Amino acid sequence: MNYRILIVDDSPLLRATARRAVLQAGVDASQIREAPNGQEALDALRTQSADLVLLDINMPIMDGFQFVEEKAKDPALADVKVALVTTEGNQKRLARMTELGVEHYLRKPFEPEELRSLVANLFGDS
Amino acid sequence: MTDATDNGLVIGVADMAIGSTTDQQLITYALGSCIGLTAYDPMARVGGLLHFMLPQPSSKGGQKDLKEFMYATTGIPRMLRRLVERGAVQNRLILSASGGAEILEGAANMAIGKRNRTMMRKVLWKMNLQLAAEDTGGQAARTMSLDLNTGEVLVRSKGNRSVLWQDPAAVSAKG
Repeated sequence: MNYRILIVDDSPLLRATARRAVLQAGVDASQIREAPNGQEALDALRTQSADLVLLDINMPIMDGFQFVEEKAKDPALADVKVALVTTEGNQKRLARMTELGVEHYLRKPFEPEELRSLVANLFGDS
Repeated sequence: MTDATDNGLVIGVADMAIGSTTDQQLITYALGSCIGLTAYDPMARVGGLLHFMLPQPSSKGGQKDLKEFMYATTGIPRMLRRLVERGAVQNRLILSASGGAEILEGAANMAIGKRNRTMMRKVLWKMNLQLAAEDTGGQAARTMSLDLNTGEVLVRSKGNRSVLWQDPAAVSAKG
């Protein structure tokens, strides 16, 4: 399966790092797109969907929490999986994300193996 | 990442902590499809809480970068070894599990919650262990805690709090 991946982070450097991790992980990605905040990520998904969003939390304009809340309201985006890529230590805030359907977390900086395992388990491509 | 608070140790996603009575309690939030597994030795009064996210590592992966508490297959045996190192006896351990939900109804997912539950049972079965109490599945997110003085396991979900396991002697003493 070829996966469409959207990397959402306000730091160009961290977006590039995540892109490199996707490639190093050997994930069969047919498309890797990037967005600098939650609003642009929603716009990007509504233009063309994705299989997996790698989502930062702290971003200007629309942060990761707002993105997840907005995504949850849109049935057209229900099949888009989200993995939070975060340094977030506030477990109660993460619990709120879980209630909204975010079930996967990668801690910055994540290793390619973690991403490979996440994709393998999410999509059954091991 | 595990954080020490006034109210015990907070265990993050894909992490594990061992504690004894001075730590008061172990608690983990954000259990969706992830599973929280507690193990408590009532004699040694030492316990562990593992918050694993996925059934197993990718078969293509190497072991070098493995985050063992991310997976059932590696996290469960590791937690039990660590408990034994801290004085627990494996056949005295009381095991409770919570989580393994399918939060997103109808989403085209690979039923990670269900596969986490299945893998946990397989791993425990291979180690000749079984759960004393379980609150898994469904669609609700959960918070789970282990009281290190009493062994009581609490699960909170949708604003409700329920006792998943408590010492039968404590229950009869109250009654």
